[in-house]
Amino acid sequence: MIVCLAVVGHENNPLYIQSFTESDDALKLHHIVHCSLDVIDERVNNPKKSSPTINEAFLGLLYPTENYKVYGYLTNTKVKFILVTTDLDIRDADVRNVSLLFFRKFHAAYVDAVSNPFHIPGKKITSKTFRERVSSIVKSFGLSSAS
Amino acid sequence: MVREVSESCVESLLAEIVLSYCSGFYANKPELAARRIEAIGFQVGHQLSERYTMDRPRFTDNLDAIKFICKDFWSELFKKQIDNLKTNHRGTFVLQDNRFRWLAHMSVDPSVQASGNIQDPSAMAENKSAQATGMHLYFPCGIIRGALSNLGIECAVSADISNLPAFVNRTCTPPTLSFCYSCMTEAVLFTQLLSEKWLFQSAVSSF
Repeated sequence: MIVCLAVVGHENNPLYIQSFTESDDALKLHHIVHCSLDVIDERVNNPKKSSPTINEAFLGLLYPTENYKVYGYLTNTKVKFILVTTDLDIRDADVRNVSLLFFRKFHAAYVDAVSNPFHIPGKKITSKTFRERVSSIVKSFGLSSAS
Repeated sequence: MVREVSESCVESLLAEIVLSYCSGFYANKPELAARRIEAIGFQVGHQLSERYTMDRPRFTDNLDAIKFICKDFWSELFKKQIDNLKTNHRGTFVLQDNRFRWLAHMSVDPSVQASGNIQDPSAMAENKSAQATGMHLYFPCGIIRGALSNLGIECAVSADISNLPAFVNRTCTPPTLSFCYSCMTEAVLFTQLLSEKWLFQSAVSSF
């Protein structure tokens, strides 16, 4: 189940953070997102030369904590998408495809939100349409992965 | 879902932007008008680059980003690729487009001349057309600068024109436009127009 989504700009400034749990550990999730930024920087700056996915946008599993898994995605414009989930019992191959699909849809929604002429680049995304679109994407993935 | 826009609408909009800013908002301050138009282009380029890099693998270095601008970005905007790319390997790139779409329908009416001392008619004509087309180049320069800055490359972009459509003995020479981009930290933008000799017959402005 998707627990938290974050969009972070190229100067590591948060553009959008949303958590999908009712409990009060939003702060803990923000902390997890913040820590994962370091992992992303490390992966990007010191790429393993043998890795075939050196230029891919999807960074895969960043690091697993005790309850959560964190996935990252880096766009060409150095914007990072971070996804925190609690699905610990799905195999890695499936999860990769599912997350990739999720990130593609999320990227499309992000691009539409940023193309808004009233959006100031570098500031938070305040569009209601974006919020609703993201919620519907999360819901559709929640349903499909709950099988 | 790919949405399309009518090209004549885009051209009319651009012409109107230049007209409003140059004769309306900043009538006596062409520098300010140029900066405003370029800033509009910057934001547009910023957003467009976000959209057009969506399905692409990440760029490894500056040259990759410039190649993206020359090929994919240019063909999304102008339906063709850049004709020539030159570099001095020290941070300056020259992109040459032999038929710049947004200026393809543009020409200058030489018959409207202020009376006064006729120095050199061809020089005056050049000056007028230089002024006329110069302002129209700020917007595309802004687009390029915005796209590059979103990809992480701070630069300055300037544009040169070497030929406008001229009806000379019924042959039409297409406009040649070169964009020169160099890595600098200030955003300075002025267009310089190469003066070449060209003859008109009665060319009527198309808008």
